[in-house]
Amino acid sequence: MSTLIHAQSITKRYGNKLALDDVSFEIHKGAPVALVGPNGAGKTTLFSLLCGYILPSQGQLSILGSQPGSSALFGKLSALPQDAQLDPRFSIVHQLSFYGQLQGLSAAESKSEALRVLDLVGLSEVAHQRSDDLSHGMRKRVTIGQSLIGKPQIVMLDEATAGLDPIHAREVRELVANLSDEATFILSSHDLTELERLCNHVLHLDKGKLTEHQAKSSEQQTQRFMTILFTDNYEDIEQSLLSLSGVTRVYMSQAKEYVVEYQKSDKQIDIELLNFCYQQGWRYRQLVNGHTLENQIFTQEKA
Amino acid sequence: MTQLHPQRLMKIAQFELVRLFLTKRGLLAVAAFTICWLLVLRYPIGQAVSIVSSPEMAELAKQVFGAIGLSKLLQWPEAELAMYWLIALYSFPVFCLFLCSDQVVGDKHRGTLRFLTLRATRTEILFGRFFGQMLILAALLVVTLFATLAVMAFRDVTLLSAGINRGAIILFYLLITVMPFVALMTLINTFASSARLAIVLAVLFFAVGNIIVSVLVWQLPVFSLLDYMFPGVQISEVAGQNSSVFNSVGIPVIQSAVLLFIAQRIFVRSSL
Repeated sequence: MSTLIHAQSITKRYGNKLALDDVSFEIHKGAPVALVGPNGAGKTTLFSLLCGYILPSQGQLSILGSQPGSSALFGKLSALPQDAQLDPRFSIVHQLSFYGQLQGLSAAESKSEALRVLDLVGLSEVAHQRSDDLSHGMRKRVTIGQSLIGKPQIVMLDEATAGLDPIHAREVRELVANLSDEATFILSSHDLTELERLCNHVLHLDKGKLTEHQAKSSEQQTQRFMTILFTDNYEDIEQSLLSLSGVTRVYMSQAKEYVVEYQKSDKQIDIELLNFCYQQGWRYRQLVNGHTLENQIFTQEKA
Repeated sequence: MTQLHPQRLMKIAQFELVRLFLTKRGLLAVAAFTICWLLVLRYPIGQAVSIVSSPEMAELAKQVFGAIGLSKLLQWPEAELAMYWLIALYSFPVFCLFLCSDQVVGDKHRGTLRFLTLRATRTEILFGRFFGQMLILAALLVVTLFATLAVMAFRDVTLLSAGINRGAIILFYLLITVMPFVALMTLINTFASSARLAIVLAVLFFAVGNIIVSVLVWQLPVFSLLDYMFPGVQISEVAGQNSSVFNSVGIPVIQSAVLLFIAQRIFVRSSL
């Protein structure tokens, strides 16, 4: 598996404030990687370091064997920085074509590339408008489009779906999923459900410290936990579920949602659980094989 | 961050030209500039010959021009070019402080620079913007110079050939003269938070800087060397065509190089 990004003991200080504290990780080519954490955790700082917008106070960062900001990465790494906007004085296609030309495309190629990425984000019709003429959501999609110019190997999207309506947020998720074979996406978002759908590898930042999670593929985890979300509040769920054979622990992770912990065995515990719910007359909305990403990150920490 | 690729550099510089001539705000600036220069062409330059050659004014002009070291200009048969030279030499540096006030600061504030730095090094962006501003100024100088030559040819078409030669030399010296002013704005753009603040800082640099240097020179004459940090220090000598090549070309080129070097060092280390 080829390593795209290697971070070794990265520390970033703003005056006395420690934004990132001795952060080390590796990102390999493949499925999208999630970067999560509360506000002020250091996500945007890490994005900015990876893009070369700021320099680390200590530590080493290597992206495709080059330092962030190096010209060797032009066209290979792209990003949607949070809150960055295109110049409102130029038409969108003009600016995107200019970016394409800086990446080495000819004038004709860059224009067709600009139109291609606008089509990908469903905004071909606004190509000749200025960014000021667009809504917030459309501007966001255009800037997502700019990150796809020239088919880069690494695409970093900071809060890509923030401010988008549900339909367009879903379209962006589908776009990321569809392009995941061509590029490795690094996504930062507060929407953990969204990240859970897309990402296997999760980098969790809190107060500048990093922990890593494998969201879906942990064999050990999927065989020991299930998370069930009911449509309503029912009485004695925890006690009732404990009566199932093999179940060792049941606890409420949040409203109407329960984590069922069970021992490894050959039994089909999930089928038994659903049968049991049916017999009790409990209607469920969702059954997750393992922990939800949200519980994995936050509830486990509290435990 | 420090690599310099000529093709990317030129693309960025060309984009600046588009910013001026193909955007609404740029066209408004060009329109205002054109109106000002139409007035300049109509009156001071259009009347140059009558001012300089009328018997009543000739003696006065000689005395005034001689007193301020401009007597050589009176010998130019192309009187319009002499007037153009003086007006352009003093007005373009001031004009370029305003014109070049937003080289990177607006893009930095808006975040557009973050898109650019993923595709060009900071050095390329900074120098590309600088060259772009120089291209814009060159274009504006060429247009005004052609207009002046047209006014001159309208009076006496036989002067056109010599006028074009002299015009090319004037253009060269004007470009060299404005260069450190553009470089100063490039430097200020690396740390100012807005284009307006960049203008204020430039004005303060000249106003307060000159006062401080004057006080220092009054205390210790050796501090007069500090005058050389101000762009345009040589303008009064250059105006009368009395200065050496080092003064008229060397000083502004060295000033520009130093200002751009400092700007580049700051810009590659700054946070975006």
